[in-house]
Amino acid sequence: MLATPLLWLTVTLGVFEAFDTASKRSGRHPLCHPVLWATPVLIGLLLATGTPYATYHAATLPLSFLLGPAVVGLAVPVWAERARIRRLALPIALALGAGAVTSIVSAVGILWLLGAPRDILASIAPRATTTPVAMAVAGQLGGIPALAAVIVLFAGVVGAMVATPLLDALGLRDYRARGFALGVAAHGIGAARAFQVDATAGAMASLGMALNAVVTAALLSVVALLV
Amino acid sequence: MLRAILLLLACQLGGEAIHRLTGLALPGAVIGMVLLLAWLALVPRERPTLAAVSGWLTAHLAVMFVPAAVGLIDEGAVLSRYGLALVAATVASTVLTLAVTALVFRWALRFVADGDDA
Repeated sequence: MLATPLLWLTVTLGVFEAFDTASKRSGRHPLCHPVLWATPVLIGLLLATGTPYATYHAATLPLSFLLGPAVVGLAVPVWAERARIRRLALPIALALGAGAVTSIVSAVGILWLLGAPRDILASIAPRATTTPVAMAVAGQLGGIPALAAVIVLFAGVVGAMVATPLLDALGLRDYRARGFALGVAAHGIGAARAFQVDATAGAMASLGMALNAVVTAALLSVVALLV
Repeated sequence: MLRAILLLLACQLGGEAIHRLTGLALPGAVIGMVLLLAWLALVPRERPTLAAVSGWLTAHLAVMFVPAAVGLIDEGAVLSRYGLALVAATVASTVLTLAVTALVFRWALRFVADGDDA
């Protein structure tokens, strides 16, 4: 029974559901993100039962498999926003390009200055993309997908928490600019935060997340060809 | 419903094939997203089921990457050595990206015919 997917799939969904309920009760506070809490609990369960990660990984493949179709499906909200994209093509294109480059250069640059080796740099380079894309890109570049997942998650929490005070301090009141920046810088967690504030900001954040997944992945695959 | 799932899987499969054939580091699913976008543009029609299926998948993205995050169990050495540097770089990069993206967006809005888009 321990070798079939049934046990660990059930445990994973159960632990996640418990923390997801707690997260709902907190009004979806970024620090209560269920993955942030379910991950250490599951690691504890693996250690306590002496289960190797390879066993757990194989058992939970049905869950991980869904990430691919989920990423493909991000095209649907982009298509639904096509009128707005056409109208705001220039701000979207310029902000997206500037944001993607800033994110990659600052994250990789700081770690490089601190002496991190290449697999760590490859793990943080896609940190602004949505988690499944970051894991795939990190893997392609010779990084560590699990590390990329946790970095991205943390970046989302940071983005969702600092966005309002930071953008207020910069005097940015336009909800299109605010929402788009949150999606580009902090992917799905940022988009969830943007939806709490304003519907336009939320739609722009979803758009920023989907577009940045493509742009950052494309930029990094070009960089991978050069270095 | 089946047709929506088929469309998502077919786009991903196509993306995966392009990824393998070209050797690009661009993940198959991301190429698949671009393929789906092209398909939606080429065959325009109302697709409530596709919107429902992809909406459900997106809404449950978080639980799908839990198994990958648990992979940190084997990265203890990396975390204890570079944990602080990773935190510093992630915080700085996220704050900078937010500010730069929002400021460039607002600056470029001046070139857009003043829309009442809100």
